[in-house]
Amino acid sequence: MEPGSTPGRFRNSEAANGLFMVSPPAIYAVLLLAAPLIAMVLYSLMVDSKVGLSSGLTFDNYLKVWTGRIDQALMIRSLTVSAMVTLVTVLLAYPVAYFVSFHVKPEKKSMWLFLITIPFWTSYLIRVFLWKVILGYNGVINSGLMSIGIIDEPLTIINYSLGSMIMTLAHAYAAFAILPIFVSLEKIDRSFLEAGQDLGESKFRTFIRVTLPLSMPGVIAAVLIVFIPTIGDYVTPELIGGGKLPMIANRIEAIMLKQNDKALGSAIAMTAMLIVALVSIVFILLNRRFLRGQSK
Amino acid sequence: MTTEKSNMIEFRDVHKYYGDYHALRGINATIRAGEFFSLLGPSGCGKTTLLRTIAGFEDISSGAVMIDGKNMANVPANVRPTNMVFQSYAIFPHLTVEENVGFGLRRDPRSKEEKAMAVAEALEMVGLKGYGKRAAHALSGGQRQRVALARALILKPKVLLLDEPLSALDKKMREQMQVELIKLQRQVGITFILVTHDQEEALVMSDRIAVMFEGQIAQLADPETLYRRPASRKVADFIGTMNFLPAQILSDSGATVEVEAAGFGRMSLSPDQVMGSPSAEGATIGLRPETLTILFEGQAATDREVLGTVEEVVYYGDMTYYDVKLDGASSPMRLSMRNVPGRPVLDRGAKARLGWSPGAVVLFR
Amino acid sequence: MSKNPSLKIYAIAYLIFLYAPIALLPVFAFNDSRVIAFPLAGFTTNWFAEMWADNQLFKAFRNSLTIATTSAVIATALGIFAARASTRYKFPGKGGVLGLIMLPMVLPEMIISMSLLVVLIAVGVPLSIFTIILGHVLICTPFAVAILTSAFQSLDRSLEEAAYDLGESPASTFRLIILPLVMPGIISSLLICFTISLDEFIIAYFLGGNQSVLSVYIFGQFRFPAKVPAVMALGFVLVCISVCLLTIAEYFRRRGIAKTGGKDTGGFL
Repeated sequence: MEPGSTPGRFRNSEAANGLFMVSPPAIYAVLLLAAPLIAMVLYSLMVDSKVGLSSGLTFDNYLKVWTGRIDQALMIRSLTVSAMVTLVTVLLAYPVAYFVSFHVKPEKKSMWLFLITIPFWTSYLIRVFLWKVILGYNGVINSGLMSIGIIDEPLTIINYSLGSMIMTLAHAYAAFAILPIFVSLEKIDRSFLEAGQDLGESKFRTFIRVTLPLSMPGVIAAVLIVFIPTIGDYVTPELIGGGKLPMIANRIEAIMLKQNDKALGSAIAMTAMLIVALVSIVFILLNRRFLRGQSK
Repeated sequence: MTTEKSNMIEFRDVHKYYGDYHALRGINATIRAGEFFSLLGPSGCGKTTLLRTIAGFEDISSGAVMIDGKNMANVPANVRPTNMVFQSYAIFPHLTVEENVGFGLRRDPRSKEEKAMAVAEALEMVGLKGYGKRAAHALSGGQRQRVALARALILKPKVLLLDEPLSALDKKMREQMQVELIKLQRQVGITFILVTHDQEEALVMSDRIAVMFEGQIAQLADPETLYRRPASRKVADFIGTMNFLPAQILSDSGATVEVEAAGFGRMSLSPDQVMGSPSAEGATIGLRPETLTILFEGQAATDREVLGTVEEVVYYGDMTYYDVKLDGASSPMRLSMRNVPGRPVLDRGAKARLGWSPGAVVLFR
Repeated sequence: MSKNPSLKIYAIAYLIFLYAPIALLPVFAFNDSRVIAFPLAGFTTNWFAEMWADNQLFKAFRNSLTIATTSAVIATALGIFAARASTRYKFPGKGGVLGLIMLPMVLPEMIISMSLLVVLIAVGVPLSIFTIILGHVLICTPFAVAILTSAFQSLDRSLEEAAYDLGESPASTFRLIILPLVMPGIISSLLICFTISLDEFIIAYFLGGNQSVLSVYIFGQFRFPAKVPAVMALGFVLVCISVCLLTIAEYFRRRGIAKTGGKDTGGFL
């Protein structure tokens, strides 16, 4: 009997059982996710005119999106906002994750995580709306500051600005950043840190040389998990930006539904996906390098 | 115990592949009805895989597994006349002790009362009388073990399979359970097949043992034969400690083999002391530590005698281990002496006379 | 490791930052003024009455309940299949298939809803509650898979073998052993999918046609400043519901871990 050539009845049936088991969710995902995405790719390669979609394939839509001044500005704004949000969220989240992982007693850790995750599960719309209420012209901050006499006129820099959009999104995705960092910190073998200090490193140096590099995979996961949804956010530009500072998602809606140009809209959506994919790949490669650096 | 034993399990050239990995490489063996049989070997040797082919959890790639004369090909695990005690015990955590033990009786046509009686009997048999209503997850390791035994034995299987059942227990508990398992096996008379990596456990409990390395059975024998006449250096090394010494075969008449080894001189061995077939590689003799004895003043050798120098002394309380370098030999021999009252412990560097007997020597060719 | 008070102070400040906006909800939900501003004007329950009297809200809420319940059940059912397949079987293309199922977790919702919309329109499916459910099942399934995979993973494989060994069929083993042991995971998956669906806005907004759901209703109310206090009252009620559901979900998750004798690794994700 040749090894490999006859893997045996059991393995065959295991593969068959596995495929059978996974087929309901897989078929669902193929029909309602893969197929629509493929359709969108096809749409993006056509031209949408009043008569209908053309049959020939063309890159015109992509050219229009990539060279158009509005679209370029929009992409850059979306990238800036989500990059800033990611930076702020991850920087603010790291010490909290570090605190919960290293300074909280094991039996209290899940209580802290629960507290951190609760706001994340409450209505996203309501939370965004609350920031509008807080930061608005006649909002909580302005009225509060005026009522105690610190300012005489409402501050205008806090409403309808990129800054308030970043603030809102950073708040909305806070829990997203803490959890992966926490998980990677939890995985660190505590004896490494003792070894570092045993070898005469200061606490700070131990943190820089041992803890931080070992938690890098969690940081990178946090970056991705915050970056991806924020770049595609629709509600915040609409509510906090007052519609004056649209991002990619708002642009897709405007082109697809208001101008009813499915081809161009699809091209914008695909471009957004491409940006997300590129950023993801860069960070996943970074993560690989970190992991390889560690195993050496 | 019955004297006339029929075959309960028969492996016929059993092979098992995981992809390209050859896990079982032609197993041929028979396990007799009513015996306590052990599969012994280091981790990864295929012993657990072999056990699982009996239970029906692993299909074999070729060959046949027979249980009580029936080929088990295409017989699924849930209808085989075997039951298993798992390494993790696999006690259902959401059920009580009673519900666990009675789990296999669900399809039994007997009445509720009869089933409850059977459960109570099984619990009593494993020493857990009165524990029926307890939650399974609240039990200690030893108690889980007993529940697992009761749950398997209540179905009166032809064969009970035990997958490293004692490995999770501490030393004391393990020794106690070893004795209980032997008693239980005698009481129920069912064939027990135990998988273990602990050679002492296998020697203590088994009627016969199959030693496995790399997917093959290296030797199948009763504990004494396995210990006194190991079939290879590898088996000898795995089971207990053995001193190995290069030797030269002077003559082989078939009835006796003449051998010479540095330090020990010439000796003639009977065929049952000679292992393996003649090969180009050099021969080795092996001696267990306890077959060498230090002869104190006034003691005479029962058979033969050699001289040496004590190089290392390790005191164990009940025993003392010595490394003694024989005059004329290059490497020291390990030997063990029981510490009986009045017997001194020698110091390093002391000269010693050692008594030994050619009858205790094994020759590996 | 020594205590570091500054780190603890920071962590608590961070929690306050997380909760501060939410804390405003009850403050202004009970504040007797149409304008959301300081100083506070006095206590009232008018806004709850106004909210209660709104028929459109009830209709939207009923739609949302239907959608959230249906989506949670379907997503959890699909999640059971995927989690079982991923923890128990090896099969060709496993990574790719599971990756596709989990993809909506890392895809902007706008792209999911637009691609679905394009296809639904092309195929001629009218937009309704049903189309929202289609989209919500898609985005809930990855969460269900994540929760259920950890539930299935903490199951000792030999429990299944033991039941099989004791004479049960694969189907009855699933019913008698696996299902009861992963039930806490199933319940927390149902609750979390329900919460996600209830909260979701983009898919509901674009795939709902003229059917209003809760999130779309709330979004619509933002245009009218006079409605803001009532939205605050509604928000307060919703937060209370979410906290209750999450507490129940967390309770079942922990009980599941305790039941199978596993170790608590914390967190939902």
